Amino acid sequence: MRMLGRTAANLFWLSRYVERAENMARLLEVGYRMSLTARREGGASEHLVSMLQAAEMDEAFNAKHEVADVATVSHFMLFDEENPSSVRSCLLAARTNARSVRTALTRDVWETINAAWLEFSQIRPRDVTGARLQDVLQWVKQVSNQFRGAMTGTVLRGDGYMFSTIGGYVERADNTARILDMKYYVLLPRATLVGGDVDIQQWTLILRAASAHRSYRHVYHDRYKAANIADYLILRPEMPRSLRFCMIHINRSLDGLSEIYGTRQDCHLAAEEVTAMLVGNTMERIFQHGLHEFLTEFIARNNRVTETLSDSYNFY
Amino acid sequence: MKIEIRHHLRVAIGPDLTRAIEHLLLTPQSGTTQTVDAWSIEMPGFAEAARFKDAYGNVAHLVCQTHPEPELSVLVAGSVETHDTHGVVGKPDGAPVPTLYKRQTALTRSPVTVHGKFRHAERSGQARIPLLHQIMERVGELYRFGLAEDDAPEAEGPSQSQTMGTMTQSQTMGTPARPEGKAEDFAHAFIGAARALDIPARFVTGYLAAEDDRPAVFHAWAEAWDDALGWIGFDAALGLCPAERHVRVAVGLDAATCPPIRTVPATGAPEVLALSVTPA
Amino acid sequence: MCSNGNAVGSAANAAQEYMSDSAPFDEMYNADGSVRDPYLELDAWLKEQPAQALKLMSADAEGLFRRLGITFAVYGSNESTERLIPFDIIPRIISAAEWRRLSKGIEQRVRALNAFLHDIYHRQEILKAGRVPEALILQNSAFCPEMMGLDPAKGIYSHIIGVDIVRVGPNDFYVLEDNVRTPSGVSYMLENREAMLHLAPDLFQRHKVAPVETYAENLRRTLESVAPENRQGAPTIAVLTPGIYNSAYFEHSFLADQMGAQLCEGPDLFVEGGKVYMRTTTGPERVDVIYRRIDDDFIDPLTFRPDSLLGVPGLFDAYRAGNVTLVNAPGTGIADDKAVYTYVPEIIEFYLGEKPLLNNVPTYNCTDEEQRNYVLANIEELVVKEVHGSGGYGMLVGPTSTKAMREEFKRRILARPDNYIVQPTLALSTCPTSVKAGIAPRHVDLRPYVLVGDKIRITPGGLTRVALKKGSLVVNSSQGGGTKDTWVLEE
Repeated sequence: MRMLGRTAANLFWLSRYVERAENMARLLEVGYRMSLTARREGGASEHLVSMLQAAEMDEAFNAKHEVADVATVSHFMLFDEENPSSVRSCLLAARTNARSVRTALTRDVWETINAAWLEFSQIRPRDVTGARLQDVLQWVKQVSNQFRGAMTGTVLRGDGYMFSTIGGYVERADNTARILDMKYYVLLPRATLVGGDVDIQQWTLILRAASAHRSYRHVYHDRYKAANIADYLILRPEMPRSLRFCMIHINRSLDGLSEIYGTRQDCHLAAEEVTAMLVGNTMERIFQHGLHEFLTEFIARNNRVTETLSDSYNFY
Repeated sequence: MKIEIRHHLRVAIGPDLTRAIEHLLLTPQSGTTQTVDAWSIEMPGFAEAARFKDAYGNVAHLVCQTHPEPELSVLVAGSVETHDTHGVVGKPDGAPVPTLYKRQTALTRSPVTVHGKFRHAERSGQARIPLLHQIMERVGELYRFGLAEDDAPEAEGPSQSQTMGTMTQSQTMGTPARPEGKAEDFAHAFIGAARALDIPARFVTGYLAAEDDRPAVFHAWAEAWDDALGWIGFDAALGLCPAERHVRVAVGLDAATCPPIRTVPATGAPEVLALSVTPA
Repeated sequence: MCSNGNAVGSAANAAQEYMSDSAPFDEMYNADGSVRDPYLELDAWLKEQPAQALKLMSADAEGLFRRLGITFAVYGSNESTERLIPFDIIPRIISAAEWRRLSKGIEQRVRALNAFLHDIYHRQEILKAGRVPEALILQNSAFCPEMMGLDPAKGIYSHIIGVDIVRVGPNDFYVLEDNVRTPSGVSYMLENREAMLHLAPDLFQRHKVAPVETYAENLRRTLESVAPENRQGAPTIAVLTPGIYNSAYFEHSFLADQMGAQLCEGPDLFVEGGKVYMRTTTGPERVDVIYRRIDDDFIDPLTFRPDSLLGVPGLFDAYRAGNVTLVNAPGTGIADDKAVYTYVPEIIEFYLGEKPLLNNVPTYNCTDEEQRNYVLANIEELVVKEVHGSGGYGMLVGPTSTKAMREEFKRRILARPDNYIVQPTLALSTCPTSVKAGIAPRHVDLRPYVLVGDKIRITPGGLTRVALKKGSLVVNSSQGGGTKDTWVLEE
């Protein structure tokens, strides 16, 4: 049976929203941790604001709140219904998408999403402080892992699986690129090779947001260095949140689609263009070209993948 | 009488649409009162249109466009030979049973002032046709046809948008002027009265050829059922039975069931850019 | 069976005690306390169960249904108020002979109603013959003039029907309502069987129960058989749903899934060149049969309500042009109109030349002065229903009503006599039902599901609804009703 364009779109967005919920939880976790260890007066707020910037939520946040403290920021990122990227909005959108394509999902996938939403909607925002906040963030990440697990373990490797996988990786690549772009200035090569305290803090933020602060050591056997961090999150094919890794999986799924449907489409070209930015490239060349320019272009081209995918397979 | 028709319409369906769809009732059929010699419709998508008979026996077209222009141009042209049958259309094959046309609709429920005086009149057999003429006259007594533009002084009284149903109010308020109606209001009043008397009656759309000081129009009138003769036309707006100047296009329960064009997205009535109905 | 909840006891005593609060026909016990044939095995099984077994099973059922029930409960727009429909673990059992009689009657009714619909939308012979009043049909809002002269594939209008039947005696079945538009609840019938197989597999082993699992396959066959006649090859079937916020969305997706059809919403479909297509990842795909779960008024904004966002513009014209089949056809509602219901026996005789096999409930017409006076004088013994009401709302059950309610309904009947039909209160049969205190008789009805296509297929059994409140005659789930698995025994 051929798949409805809407079903393909729902599957794509289902994974994107789950991934986004996870990314929001990661960012908030980092912001929260850093605010705890802030040594200076006002330092806590500074970290949270910088984290909001990385999530591109600072403007929306400032429009609603005067003070950025743990309570206001975590409420905004977890529960705010008007914030389209809050964990709440993401889980609800994921579930709405899942419900529309219930018959295209396995029971395991559906129950993961459904139970997650039902459980989340039981949480009373005002109870979520301190240790409880960390529990909730951990729980959001677990939901995402469980969702991916259910997808990997129970879903037929047909077109639906491909659309869903692409959605997840497009979102992840976008998220990684945006975090890097928000902090690109602390990653630029400088005369002084040793970073100051502030740099180290920012680097830690970036790495932690990608769950990469420990694995970094396994790959580089070195202290935190700007060039390595950028290399790790952009070019390393083994790093599961790097741009390169995301593109490898997007391409695999697109190849899967062209096999199933027998044709290559505009989206395949669009993904090739993004891939060409990474394969055979080096950080040296990227820095030469300009890191910010590189990331801006990457984000734009990555968006093109979604647009062309929507056109090629009649999403609506 | 040979009649040449040219009807140019513009439908404002709106900008930036992915799709538009229209249901057309703009194709006359040959029958007792007319022979269609040539007929054509030109509009975007018409070549792929589906053509079928609707519930009332009309020829309908379903036309679709993808990414249409904000305005559709519809050009209808043809030539029809009309035959004077004193209004008798007869009993065409394939039409739904006449009893269907006893169903009152929101548009045809006319006030009792129209049919009240005939409530006890004989309506079967030979009595029916005279009765239908009386109903037509009665409608003419109660309402004033708003087509003629020079018939004006009290025109600022009841507005043109009023329907027959609301017009009776002005009478109870003692206004001597007869409320003004459009052709379809006359048809609805006639149909409602006939149906109230248990006589099947239906709504007819079509072209009316120009005459003297009266311009050509896309017109509306009514037909009522007689067991012996079949359908007979009654144009209450003009107070006569259609003869050679009426070209029948479509029939229905009321105006809402057989408009010339229905669209999604919905629009108001199409704008008439040009209309000529010329006896050759 | 006893009020102390002990499932096993002296059978005769228990039966007597069971019957004592039950005057109407009971499907399990005769008046003398003996067990009716179809229930002998169930009776034996119940006696073998250890004291707490039924209690445990009920708890299991609850647990199972809470889990399964997630699927029922979460789909409403307002999730916090969405309730599970309670499931009773004691099955309702119908013998093969009883079922044969019932299904013959149902088939007769369904054939007659389809013949009636064809006639009403063509030559209207039954009106000409004066067997059904003309105005009742022509002026009825459920009559759809747009259907005149349309010839649906195989001449079938209502393909999927749920006939509501009540039983008042061993051989006395009455039809309450013929649901010929979009009967719902078939997913409950299927899920109930799943649950029962899970909870009491040993009880199944002791019976030969006719399967209901064939429903989805039969539905598919039925839909395929009514594809447009000019269509070559295997037809494409779609289920058209109003979307995820509809309360029956679960059933729509369940049925689409079970029969391997595409679950579509209005925007998934479009009409071009008089044909219907769905938007797929590889472009438009022609659709031949649409099982639509959207009301008539909303299926096509071009022909019906222009404000409908749920429907497909041009769908009705495509149907009219013979390029797609709509299941059920628009305008079938005229055949289950409460006022037309009274004439179903006439309709059966007129089209089939047969006597009706199933009874119609005698119905009083309040527009007739004499009948109205009778109704007003005897309202405490009667049931009053709104002509266009459903779901047990807008209804008065005389014997269990208060004086204030009766006065209110008298006032309403006088104000709008044509808006009500009135029937005698039927003594609905009872079935043993698991209640807090043990097992007690509760009133039931039955909705068998009928499929009409290349042939008539009636799923053995159907949905039994049970009024869980003691003495209550209202079985609607919205009024505190539950459901039971319904077993038809094979010989």
